[in-house]
Amino acid sequence: MAKAITKIQQIELSEEQRRRKDLEELETALLDNKDAIFQSLDVIKHMHDRGVLSLLGGLFSEGDKVLNVLVKAADKPEATNTLKNLLLMVGVLGTINVQQLEPLLLKLNSGIARVAEYKETEDKLGYFDIVRSLKDPEINSALTLLFEFLKGMGEDTSGLERTTQLPEDQDLHQSQEGTLEHR
Amino acid sequence: MSGKINVTINGAEVTAIENQTILQCLSDSTIEVPSVCYHPSLGPIETCDTCIVEVNGELVRSCSTQMKTGDVIDTTAPEVKKAQTMAMDKILFNHELYCTVCDYNNGTCEVHNTVKEMKINHQSIPFDHKPYEKDYSNPFYRYDPDQCILCGRCVEACQDVQVTETLRIDWERDRPRVIWDNDVPINESSCVSCGHCSTVCPCNAMMEKGMEGEAGFLTGIAKETLRPMIEITKGVETGYGSILAISDMEAAMRESRIKKTKTVCTYCGVGCSFDVWTKGREILKVEPQIEAPANGISTCVKGKFGWDFVNSEERLTKPLIREGDSFREAEWDEALNLIASKFTEIKNEHGPDSLGFITSSKCTNEESYLMQKLARAVIGTNNIDNCSRYCQTPATVGLFRTVGHGGDAGSFADIAMADLVIIVGSNTAEAHPVLATRVKRAQKLNGQKVIVADLREHEMADRADLFVRPKAGSDLVWISAVTKYIIDQGWADEEFLKNKVNGLSEYVASLEGFTLEYAEKTTGLSKETLIEIATSIHEAKSVCALWAMGVTQHLGGSDTSTAISNLLLITGNYGRPGTGAYPLRGHNNVQGAGDFGSSPDSLPGYQKVFNDAERQKFEQAWGTKLPSEPGINNHDMIEGMHNGTLKALYVKGEEMGLVDSNINHVHSAYEKLDFFVVQDIFFSRTAQFADVVLPASPSFEKEGTFTNTERRIQRLYQVFDPAGESKPDWQILIEVANRLGAGWRYEHPSEVMAEAASLMPIYSGVTYELLEGYKSLQWPVNPDGTDTPVLYLDGFPFPDGKARLFPVKWSIPVQFGEEYDIHVNNGRLLEHFHEGNLTYKSEGITSKTPETFLEVSPELAEERGLKDGTLVRLTSPYGNVKVRCVVTDRVKGKEVYLPMNDTGDAAINLLTSSYGDKDTDTPAYKETKAKMDILQYEGVNPLPRNNFRYGNPQPQIGVQVQKKWARPDYIFPGDLVKKERTQHG
Repeated sequence: MAKAITKIQQIELSEEQRRRKDLEELETALLDNKDAIFQSLDVIKHMHDRGVLSLLGGLFSEGDKVLNVLVKAADKPEATNTLKNLLLMVGVLGTINVQQLEPLLLKLNSGIARVAEYKETEDKLGYFDIVRSLKDPEINSALTLLFEFLKGMGEDTSGLERTTQLPEDQDLHQSQEGTLEHR
Repeated sequence: MSGKINVTINGAEVTAIENQTILQCLSDSTIEVPSVCYHPSLGPIETCDTCIVEVNGELVRSCSTQMKTGDVIDTTAPEVKKAQTMAMDKILFNHELYCTVCDYNNGTCEVHNTVKEMKINHQSIPFDHKPYEKDYSNPFYRYDPDQCILCGRCVEACQDVQVTETLRIDWERDRPRVIWDNDVPINESSCVSCGHCSTVCPCNAMMEKGMEGEAGFLTGIAKETLRPMIEITKGVETGYGSILAISDMEAAMRESRIKKTKTVCTYCGVGCSFDVWTKGREILKVEPQIEAPANGISTCVKGKFGWDFVNSEERLTKPLIREGDSFREAEWDEALNLIASKFTEIKNEHGPDSLGFITSSKCTNEESYLMQKLARAVIGTNNIDNCSRYCQTPATVGLFRTVGHGGDAGSFADIAMADLVIIVGSNTAEAHPVLATRVKRAQKLNGQKVIVADLREHEMADRADLFVRPKAGSDLVWISAVTKYIIDQGWADEEFLKNKVNGLSEYVASLEGFTLEYAEKTTGLSKETLIEIATSIHEAKSVCALWAMGVTQHLGGSDTSTAISNLLLITGNYGRPGTGAYPLRGHNNVQGAGDFGSSPDSLPGYQKVFNDAERQKFEQAWGTKLPSEPGINNHDMIEGMHNGTLKALYVKGEEMGLVDSNINHVHSAYEKLDFFVVQDIFFSRTAQFADVVLPASPSFEKEGTFTNTERRIQRLYQVFDPAGESKPDWQILIEVANRLGAGWRYEHPSEVMAEAASLMPIYSGVTYELLEGYKSLQWPVNPDGTDTPVLYLDGFPFPDGKARLFPVKWSIPVQFGEEYDIHVNNGRLLEHFHEGNLTYKSEGITSKTPETFLEVSPELAEERGLKDGTLVRLTSPYGNVKVRCVVTDRVKGKEVYLPMNDTGDAAINLLTSSYGDKDTDTPAYKETKAKMDILQYEGVNPLPRNNFRYGNPQPQIGVQVQKKWARPDYIFPGDLVKKERTQHG
């Protein structure tokens, strides 16, 4: 005769038994990952030596508060502007052709070097001096370069601007593949 | 049918399919067109305008424009891009992009992906907050109007897929938004929490609460920090490109910690499959997939949100052994050894037939196979049964008698395409919710006709074109009378009957007594109604008949099932798409449990134990003699316990002590057992009587296959490791069998399936490879792996290929004394499954439906002075229940409805009798009468106001985009572009 019963006696693990079980589990996990653990310990030691650990400790223990302060600090026009400019500059940097720029930069450097050596004198440069200077091959080639540059600067690049244009007006959207490569 | 046509797309000549939309055609090609509101399962909604292309010089929406021969289509013209960008701008006016800190940033956000694809960097109309609060009131999902892009997918899904008709977009107000019913909080609306809206939402507007603050790495951040963070992200924006790159990175990181596992739902027999998103043991959401064969994007509240039971604290995690007046936790070894020694002892002393085995229609096919193999091959008894004995065995018998296969004739697609659907004794919208959506949609959009015969005016009855209320238990009579009338009118399908059916003349003779007059008198349906039904059937080109427990749980359940099948044969409604018989299986694997031999006379594949050739095949494969006499079924096992012939019982995953009828009788039977093993995930009512309780794992914690009501075999994959020391049932069965000397060496359920398939002709081509992911097979599966979505296309599985008309007689329902004047109908609710042992573990479901209730009619309430909350006692000759009333016109007269979601004083089976179907012993649950006493007039209404039954649905077709177009501030972007052109030009 088996009447319905609802009482259940759970296996009560003593504190000692539970501890032993947990330790056994831990031991296996440690042994299974021996190499990784030694390496981590090494990293942790260095972090401790440099004080990184206590820094992180503070950061994590007050995680929400720190994040809040950080976010509030960043949520100011100057800060967001900085980030924005950074991101934009990164974009602009990407469009520069360094191969073409390098000779120009070298020339700019040597120009700067000359200026650095230049001593302030009482001598005034007259019109004739300027015309005469044109015969100087160095000055002549510099001016040719400058004129070419001015010409390029005058070209219409507004279609490439991302900060001033509606998306649909940008060249990016006018091109078939959605890229600028085959313009 | 649609032919091939030639069109020009972006200058290239292309062959396309006629009547396909441009978007469909393009999505098959490599050309991409944005399409934010379009969803393949919903069709064109036309709210977002992002899919604009140029056709023959005109700018049109590609989602809704069909292709004509000679069309010249341009998807890249600057004006096309301009129009698309304008459309997207309108969307971004309504949606703030803070992707990195958004829980929906999982790679599938349509807004995010479209912004990226279109290379949009800025928007000309800046985002502007809408003046509405988030709605958190529903326990399962929340709506954030501020992020809502008003695409209308959710409305389309609610109105025309789920067809609960709760959601609309109010296009009239200054800033439109989604509203529930007549603009009430979600939790006070008619919303059934099916989850369609959150499934189809293209962004984070409609989101499962399980996802919130959980999905992302940064989304759990406290609210006060989150807002400034969003502001920073926006302030820093140099264009969306760089922001999206970061959020894409974050989305990729999420993949490492969010696991997505395909599983098959373990509630009803529809067999929905979906991905489960988990993080550790936490369930983030259930995500149905378009390619899911049974359900597509559909779910009900249980499948979408009802999984809390898996992680319930109440799960059994260790074996229990009875000791004196309590159970004690034990180690597996001890429990298994005890079972082995007791089973051996009892078998040696009283013979193998003194043991009984009950397998579960919740468990996998492989587990049912092993359970019956344990009974037959290891113990040596055919005493094996399962819970389909409580529900659909009579239907199976009816089909075997007439058409030869014990399963649905076709797929849900066939039901959806039928001209006429007849639903008899099935509360489909609550018991098989996702299947019901297919009927509701077909009726709403495609003019499908629906006839419902039921006692109760449930949702399907309410929606039916014709709803009839025959007297309880009289279905066979009206069905036979309608059949006779059809034959008498000369409306029978002579051609079909001549070529494909045997036994016509005997059958026609058997109908003689079923005149309209007799039927009118017996069923209470008027002659006109009967003629109307007959005429509808006659006029329909294709008819599907759906039935469930309202038919089977009667003294003549098998006969009524047979009568339905006879009617379909007479009218030629078999063997064609869109026709046939659909007994709706109640549990996820009722079909599979039956398929895999969980019955006293059938080996796997419905091969008979008494058929020497079939049995010997199994004897050879299993290397042992098998008993050739059929065993005893559930019902007879209970009697066996009472008269001392059944000494030991092994119940796996079945709450028999609550769901069997006349449970007082069942409980006293349990008390007489010598040894009782119960295997379950919870400490069930049945388990209270056990000697050993074994902790099993639910579907989320194992692999295997289920077979749904469409005969569709689907694989489930393991989501979690088994909780505690619980184990998947197939592993437990192997250990029990091996301790009894079986020597089974299955390492994986696929090996069980391979063995079973080699022995079961209807499963012969089934392999796990063919079922990978969302792939499925509908049996019979040929050895080459081809399956059979529609049965009987090439004749019926009888020696001459012909079906059989099977004459049946009406069984008069159980008679009760006059004092038992209340007819107690009973069955399921949408939100609770059966007694509720799984669904009450969901806080959300419990908050909306905390307990069962008794539906009483306004007439009865008036007569007895009943009110919402009145506590009554119902007393039948077998027991009594105490339950609180809800007055509703869903029931009529002295008919009451008691849902089965109670395990205590209101458990319906305290009232039911031990009478059963005369052919199968399936309990006649539906033939229950009682008398009513009022215990307390005043009381709390057991059905709280936040239950969807009080809601106020607002039917309309789709999202009503015309209302958007009619707004003064709306101009079609295509026209806007044109206008600018004329101005500039």
